[in-house]
Amino acid sequence: MAIWFLPFSSVLLLVLSFTSPVISSNSEGDALHALRAKLSDPNNVLQSWDPTLINPCTWFHVTCDNNNRVIRLDLGNSNISGPLGVEIGHLEHLQFLELYRNKFEGKLPDELGNLKYLISIDLSENNLHGAIPKSLSKLKSLRFLRLNDNKLSGPIPRELSLLSNLKALNLSNNDLCGTVPTDGPFSTFPPQSFANNTRLNGPELLGLAPYDFGC
Amino acid sequence: MPSSPLLFFLLFLCFFCTQLSCTETEVQALLAWRSSLKDPGCLTQNWTSNNISTDPCQWRGIKCNETGSIISLSILSCQIDGTLDKFNFSSFPNLTRLEMVGNENLHGGIPKEIGTLHNLQFLDLRFNNLVGEIPVTISNLSNLEDLDLSFNLLTGAIPSAILNMSGLHSLDLGLNNLTGQIPRTIGNMFNLEELSLNGNYINGAIPREIEHLNKLTGLYLYKNELSGQIPLEIGNMTELQIADLSDNKLQGNIPATIAQLPNLSELDLENNQLNGTVPPYLGNNSNLEWIMLSNNDFIGTFPPLLCRSGKLKYLWATKNSFNSLLPITLKNCSSLIELDLSDNNIRADVSQTFGEHPNLSIINLSENRFYGRLPSNWVKNIMILSLQDNRLRGDIPKELANSTSLVILNLSNNNFSSLPLIQAPTLQSLHVSNNKLTGEFPLLQQNWTNLVTLDIGKNNFYGEMPSWIGSSFPVLKILRLGSNMFEGYIPPKLSMLNNLRLLDFSNNNLKGPIPHVLSHMHSMVVKTITNDSYIDLYFNSTVYEESIDFMWKGVEATYQETIALLTGIDLSCNAFSGEIPEDLMKLQGLISLNLSRNQLSGMIPHNIGNLTSLEVLDLSMNLLSGTIPPSILNLTGLDALNLSHNKLTGQIPSGPQLQTFNLSAFSYNDGLCGFPLPNNCLTHNNSIVPLLRNEARHKKLEVIWIICSVILGYVTGFWAYFGALYWKISLRFVVFHFTDKMQDKMMKWCGRYLH
Repeated sequence: MAIWFLPFSSVLLLVLSFTSPVISSNSEGDALHALRAKLSDPNNVLQSWDPTLINPCTWFHVTCDNNNRVIRLDLGNSNISGPLGVEIGHLEHLQFLELYRNKFEGKLPDELGNLKYLISIDLSENNLHGAIPKSLSKLKSLRFLRLNDNKLSGPIPRELSLLSNLKALNLSNNDLCGTVPTDGPFSTFPPQSFANNTRLNGPELLGLAPYDFGC
Repeated sequence: MPSSPLLFFLLFLCFFCTQLSCTETEVQALLAWRSSLKDPGCLTQNWTSNNISTDPCQWRGIKCNETGSIISLSILSCQIDGTLDKFNFSSFPNLTRLEMVGNENLHGGIPKEIGTLHNLQFLDLRFNNLVGEIPVTISNLSNLEDLDLSFNLLTGAIPSAILNMSGLHSLDLGLNNLTGQIPRTIGNMFNLEELSLNGNYINGAIPREIEHLNKLTGLYLYKNELSGQIPLEIGNMTELQIADLSDNKLQGNIPATIAQLPNLSELDLENNQLNGTVPPYLGNNSNLEWIMLSNNDFIGTFPPLLCRSGKLKYLWATKNSFNSLLPITLKNCSSLIELDLSDNNIRADVSQTFGEHPNLSIINLSENRFYGRLPSNWVKNIMILSLQDNRLRGDIPKELANSTSLVILNLSNNNFSSLPLIQAPTLQSLHVSNNKLTGEFPLLQQNWTNLVTLDIGKNNFYGEMPSWIGSSFPVLKILRLGSNMFEGYIPPKLSMLNNLRLLDFSNNNLKGPIPHVLSHMHSMVVKTITNDSYIDLYFNSTVYEESIDFMWKGVEATYQETIALLTGIDLSCNAFSGEIPEDLMKLQGLISLNLSRNQLSGMIPHNIGNLTSLEVLDLSMNLLSGTIPPSILNLTGLDALNLSHNKLTGQIPSGPQLQTFNLSAFSYNDGLCGFPLPNNCLTHNNSIVPLLRNEARHKKLEVIWIICSVILGYVTGFWAYFGALYWKISLRFVVFHFTDKMQDKMMKWCGRYLH
């Protein structure tokens, strides 16, 4: 009898650990607090971000759903500078990430791909560099992706053509290279979406062999 | 043997010489150290003499004995900049008292040579910037009675040799960066009267050996990382008067032995992880004045004998899980000055629990399950009365309403049924929301020079808002009258509330237009930049923090820490009519504007984009017409928008922030079109032409006119021609004759051509 107890209890513990609520709301507050620590905020836009509160839902520019999970982050046009920390990946229920017209710098974190409920990413008009993460292709609900007016380089990940819900894409005014995908939602995007990328070679030619100019 | 007198003479001379050279060496050592300093600060002045001889015994801060040797050296707030590295400690064999206090530029470490001051009884090096570890050599100072190294940047663990010095009477190592554990050798310090290790990073458990400190009166271990349980042995510390173990990670119960301490007057265990019940005999045997138990996990009831000595002044036990409070505990506790039992689960009848407390100035019982009626005379000289979130009922006593000492009165979220007219001139904050109060506006007209918050929402108040409301509250910041039955018009003088930040009149029966004068509220025009203190109490209190419930971003939440930043207007659910005044758009500090569920008509002001701080805009369920002004795209901070259920028309402006709102923000507006609504707008040449309702109607009329004229033309022409033929025979002949002639001519011409 006792022999069965040990494996049974360990299995039970394992099961329980998977079914228990994953992240408490306060950990979303911790994530936002960690994000803030890396930023410079001369307009004091983030002064209401008090990490001692039970959740971040009363913080300004943060919106939660009925379960106190962060669904919106609206910090457009706020004169904020600094990197976009990887902690953004902890806001697992985020739907709208509006950080346009600031001075965010550094690279786009791969962790953005964890935010599977994202509907809109607007990081336009910042100082971001580096490549567009391939992980963005995991965002099946994504409808708006605006990364224009940055210093992004590297290719447009072909995997982005898997985002069937993507309605608007703006990658103009960057330093992207390679070719522009033409399948999936890319067939609907006007050429202005990719304008002013001097090293971008135009739409990809679909043939038997993929043309990869490399970049 | 003939050399013996010579020997004696030589010895005497040497002795004399050494005495002389002692003094000389002392002066030389002082001056050598002073010249080693980057900045000697006040020593330049203090260490000088009028006469030529360099006799340090005349200098400021220096005392000598009969033989002219330095016994005491004091350097207080001297602005010296340097280290102790060149201080020749061994030159001062007679030094009994050394203090260097309050020199923020005295840095570097404590040299180990300090251990050579064999006669030292008193060593005070606090409030400097000394770094490094505490030298073990200090334990060699067998005559040392008082050691104070507090308020420095000392690191490392406390050497166990130091916490073994049986001669020490007082030890203060507080407010440094010390780590490690308290060594068990501490039991040997049986002469210790005061022990301060607060404000460090000391971990581990409090050693049991502490029981041997039977002369200890003050034990200050707060603000560290101590863990484990409070040792039972603490009950053997018979001289203990003050025990402050707060802000640690202590666990387990309070040992019952603590109740046997006869001299305990102050017990502070706040901010730990203690649990269980508080020992029931606590207070039986001692002169308890201060008891701080806040922010732990205590359960059960309060020790009934807590105030037995009749000396209990401060009882703070907020944020625990206490569930009862027996009447015997506090009913006859007339010494009580401050009481904070908030945020527990206490179920008790407030009229049985309390008696007369003439000294009680601050009482916070909020967030509990207190029930019953408020006794009328129980809080005569009260300054803060915080009873919100309980189950109290009945009348609010007149004595309270006429109090001349009351500063904060918070009775919200209870079941009170009547409120007399309030006339309390010192009042700064009044909260009676969410009760069953009725009657007209509850305040008496007077100069409310101190009132900052007025919250009477969620009651059954009725009648009109008094006209003097604008001129009587010069410092009012929050006015919350929502969810009552107020009627009539907004008094025009309301704009005189120059400090008003939050206005909530929602859910009433108010009518008339939104007055233009609302836009003169100065505090809402300015963007709130800093989270300054919201309310300035003229006395210090950590027991009460002002908060307000505010409906924002779709949910009603309690705002406490950010209360100073809230700037909003909520006029929703009334019968306001007329247009939204354009002047309202001057209020650039607004973060929330809710005018929904009224009968507002006309257009949304074209300069709505001026409200750049706006996060929430709700104009839904009105009769607003016209188009959505394009300036709405300037509201880059908007995270909640509702324009639904209106009569808006035209194309929804297109911009990054506006595109984050879905259908529900715009639905039930018949003429509205464009994303995110499914119906497209009529466009010409791909340009977005917003069709005004009037323009559309004009175009329709145009088309109708054209069609009508064409038809009219046809009809007139038809009847003019055939009518004439029908009525005038002569015309008929002429026409037919002409037709025949033409026919002949045509035949002739065709025939000639064919042949």
